[in-house]
Amino acid sequence: MERNPMRRQLASMRKSLFDQGYLDEQFMELEQLLDDANPNFVEEVVTLYYRDSARLILNLDRALERRPLDFSKLDGLMHQFKGSSSSIGAKKVKAESTLFREYCKSGNAEGCMRTFQQLKKEYATLRKKLETYFQLARQIGPMESANRPK
Amino acid sequence: MTPTLPSGDQASDQDNWDNGRLAHKRQLLTEIILRNRLTALVVDGDTTCRVLEQLLLHSYGVQTQGVDNGRDAIALIASGVKFNLIIIDMILSVLNGLEATRQIRDMGVHCKMLGVTACSGESERQAFLAAGVDVFIEKPLDPEHLVPILRELDGQ
Repeated sequence: MERNPMRRQLASMRKSLFDQGYLDEQFMELEQLLDDANPNFVEEVVTLYYRDSARLILNLDRALERRPLDFSKLDGLMHQFKGSSSSIGAKKVKAESTLFREYCKSGNAEGCMRTFQQLKKEYATLRKKLETYFQLARQIGPMESANRPK
Repeated sequence: MTPTLPSGDQASDQDNWDNGRLAHKRQLLTEIILRNRLTALVVDGDTTCRVLEQLLLHSYGVQTQGVDNGRDAIALIASGVKFNLIIIDMILSVLNGLEATRQIRDMGVHCKMLGVTACSGESERQAFLAAGVDVFIEKPLDPEHLVPILRELDGQ
């Protein structure tokens, strides 16, 4: 058990991200993959994801304003967003992406719009939680990577 | 190495199973040393995916190049660059993954091709395999799928 209160807080925060379904195993794979290179690399990858996916979110927003909806275009945009989200282990975001694509395939405009609103909420919530997590991790510093919960 | 839980709570059966499964995956991650120098091309329009896939390959000692569209992939291969492995997404800009795969095969390229994509339907899988990929993998690309393929390419 972690004696250091900040490390305990970090470990607890991390556990809840998984327990509450915000992240899946892929995030752990990232941590394992990137640990040796640079302890802040996971944060850098997540920052990259949010930077790049912001463009996709904007394009999806615009595409959803057009009438009639171009479901093929929407599906293509969401395909890319889903892939990107799954690559960082964003579990809830990925689930909403999958649901959105199903609505695209069935031509359900209301379903697409409703799901997209939920997706944006999950996307924003995950961002806030990860920002808080990484901020604390940076405060704890490089020693944390040696003792990172496995 | 036995993974430990991040808190002082008693491990549940589910946690033990998850940790055992994760330990097995981690073993796969570390259990390969390539004898040969392998090269790979990653064709993915999404920067995050492309960077991570290249990083994963690099962690095993595979030399990689990355492009973000099908046309650049074709041009690179047409220039004579050889790869042991091509990882390609289905939906790409300029030239989509299915057509790029067909053209790569039509050029006489016989290397291993992995279709790694966010699509998960059977029709997408069949279409990508029909276009010429050897293996269809739903994103994210993970060591469980990759390591056996690298072993095969390395002649292990």
